[in-house]
Amino acid sequence: MSEQSTLMRRSALPFLGLFALPLGWALLFLIVPYMIMIAISFWTRQFPLFVPDFQFGNYLQLFSDPQYYTVILRTAKIATMVTVAAICLGYPLAYFLVFVIKTERMRALLYMLVIVPLWVSYLLRTYTWKTILGTDGALNSALKWLGLIDQPISLFLYNQWSMVITLTYIFVPFVVMPVFASLENIPRNLIEASEDLGMRPFGTFLRVILPLSAGGVISGATVTFCLAFGDFVAPVLVGGPDGTMVANLLQSQFGAALNWPLGSALATVVLLIVMALLWVSARLDRAGRVALG
Amino acid sequence: MKARKRIASLALGVVAMGSAATAQELSILTWEGYAPESITKPFTEATGCTISASYVGSNDDFAAKLAAGGSVYDIITPSSDTVQLLTLAGFVDPIDPAMVENYAGIYPEFAQNPALVSDGSTWAVPLVWGSVSLIYRPDQISGTPDSIAVLFDPAYAGKISMWDDKSAIYWAARYLGYDNFFDLTDEQLEAVKAKLIEQKPLVRKYWASAGELTELMANQEVYVSNAWTGLTSKEVNALNKGFTVAEFSPKEKSEGWMDAMMLVKGTPNQDCAMKYMSFMQSPEGQCALAASTGYFPVNPAAVEACMDEQTKKERQVGNIDFVKSLVMWQQPVRLDKYIEVWNAVKAAP
Repeated sequence: MSEQSTLMRRSALPFLGLFALPLGWALLFLIVPYMIMIAISFWTRQFPLFVPDFQFGNYLQLFSDPQYYTVILRTAKIATMVTVAAICLGYPLAYFLVFVIKTERMRALLYMLVIVPLWVSYLLRTYTWKTILGTDGALNSALKWLGLIDQPISLFLYNQWSMVITLTYIFVPFVVMPVFASLENIPRNLIEASEDLGMRPFGTFLRVILPLSAGGVISGATVTFCLAFGDFVAPVLVGGPDGTMVANLLQSQFGAALNWPLGSALATVVLLIVMALLWVSARLDRAGRVALG
Repeated sequence: MKARKRIASLALGVVAMGSAATAQELSILTWEGYAPESITKPFTEATGCTISASYVGSNDDFAAKLAAGGSVYDIITPSSDTVQLLTLAGFVDPIDPAMVENYAGIYPEFAQNPALVSDGSTWAVPLVWGSVSLIYRPDQISGTPDSIAVLFDPAYAGKISMWDDKSAIYWAARYLGYDNFFDLTDEQLEAVKAKLIEQKPLVRKYWASAGELTELMANQEVYVSNAWTGLTSKEVNALNKGFTVAEFSPKEKSEGWMDAMMLVKGTPNQDCAMKYMSFMQSPEGQCALAASTGYFPVNPAAVEACMDEQTKKERQVGNIDFVKSLVMWQQPVRLDKYIEVWNAVKAAP
């Protein structure tokens, strides 16, 4: 309310000058496309293309035909596995950088090393995993050279595990960054106080450090889950016949099937899932803060 | 986009002292192997038009790319079973055959195909034809395979690949002994779907482009797959990986296809487009395409002098009856249903 009165007092011109571009941008490239997408989700596929309509058949199809909900569930499963794995790897890494590394320069250097892969094309990094995990790949060659196996192991590539490994590698930095920031922001005197009061290191971690870095974990997990949920490159490059994810379904509805209405309905459902997730994540973050207060 | 491109090429032309002032870029949406330097270079030298090519992985990509709009492409080269769909969708303009040099030399069975010539208009000009057969590693597959059954053989679990395309349905249908491949009943489609889902644990990867299949074969990920006859075997064997691949036509028949050139609706590069179609019917164009892909020329008159007798025999020149030994692709009566079935197979666990 006070914001509004502040706005009222100021003249509209500078306000528009400052915000017209971002607001116009959001309207033109986010709001309007979403509206179009939602509108098309009620259209009807009619050979050879599709026609404007208002009916719920597309949504009905999504929830009655197993090929759609199977894939949505599979996508959620893979995204969850990737998120858990990325936190299990990313949290200790961030902790190590903040609390174990003593010199500032070393910390900055190692932090950069975690971030640097993000400068390399995502496609290239995914493709690299194919050359590592393949039948004639680096991993099999190394195991053969060590004498551990005679025949290459084909289980490394073209299945859901290879997708989880690849996506985890890609998204670990997205966990490290927010966790690193939240760990760095913990006032050191809180940790000292805990120790002074006789808390063992593990107790201090559980009751002080972990709760105070929960915000970083939640935001890292949210970003990782949402990005993994929408990924379509890993299934194509390192996934096998059972690796179809929801983004691949979307691609085929807008591509080969030429069924934009069904594709739009699916995209709308995905959008709702992601929005629900963001809402839960925001709630969790707030609840965490209150508990600490 | 187009306007800016034209301004850019105009500016370039001025810099290049006018020689490039008339140069136009022809955008072609086509298949891998269809725009090698052996075609683009002489074409540009002869006409002043340059070629920029993009590639599709299946016939279903053409309509999808055109539906996305933006008038990006000038020429597309779908197979004859997809020509009607693109015509009906209004994505293309009719072609005046009189503008295509050597048009008379094309097999009439192809040029006058009812899918290509309808409502008194010509919608597509044949480009090249060929088959989809089976590719395999003779050193890894025991005996001499002669049947589609090899794609469903548990002995090769994890070493089988299939083209990520609705035509997987035709393969399973032939394996199951159906002969109405393009008009399967609901029960037959259910059986086909069950067969393909049963096959999934044996499949290492569905390939989505010729390049991907080449990689799968070359890196020893798979030993057998269906493949665009000629192209993949040529590419893999050229890599000298210490093994070779061979092809065979199963007793249940291979599939046959014929790709045709279509003119995208309202293209501003009509002049270059017609020159391209003429060039591709010339001896130079037909022979270069046949050499780069391993496929069969559609214009026997054009290749008369530029192809040796042995190659002519291999590429069925003058032997249009070879189509009778193939299952020539047709648009499925219920195309949507077929694509839905194939998507259901891919989505299955």
